Amino acid sequence: MLKEVVTDVLLALAVLTVAASALGVAFMRTPYARLHYVTPAAVVAPVLVALAVFVTEGLNVYTGGAVLTLVFMVAAGPFLSHATIRAMRVREHGDWRGPGKTDSPDKQEKRDRRRETEDAPQ
Amino acid sequence: MTAFVVAAIAMLVTTIPAGIVIARGNTLADAVVGFEFLTTVAVMVFALLAEGFQRSSLFEFPIILAVLLFGSGLVFARALERWL
Repeated sequence: MLKEVVTDVLLALAVLTVAASALGVAFMRTPYARLHYVTPAAVVAPVLVALAVFVTEGLNVYTGGAVLTLVFMVAAGPFLSHATIRAMRVREHGDWRGPGKTDSPDKQEKRDRRRETEDAPQ
Repeated sequence: MTAFVVAAIAMLVTTIPAGIVIARGNTLADAVVGFEFLTTVAVMVFALLAEGFQRSSLFEFPIILAVLLFGSGLVFARALERWL
């Protein structure tokens, strides 16, 4: 009985976290602000779901699957957020450091050469 | 219907705002953020359904999707930066 109550509470918290994140994603004005609200859904909610599975099942294959999923999501989340914000800044300002910041001529030349090589038809 | 299935359905409902952001967001960056949110929730929905239906083999879906989420997110970020 206690196990079921704890599971229900954990799942309710996970759903509330995701619902709050969804509202944040929907109503924030800039993509930077929206991205902040993806993090609770990607980090907090999976922990709650994995805990709920653990409370229900104990240590078995279900818990293993849930924990493995959790590990991948928690590990990937920060990298993904960083890459997305970097891409948005490059798109807006031409450089991730912001407007007016550019690489030294040497670096620019190297980057242009690399892009030409990457874009060249094989 | 177990609590896990109910939670999965509730989480699916929360993807509607993200879908609206993807379809009607002001910029492409908004759509990419919406996509990231949607895939994150999809991973959890698969995990909840696997537990709810008591099928351990179904846990392969969320695990694989969690890995693909990382790759696809990076691809979208790169495309946003250079090509879109």
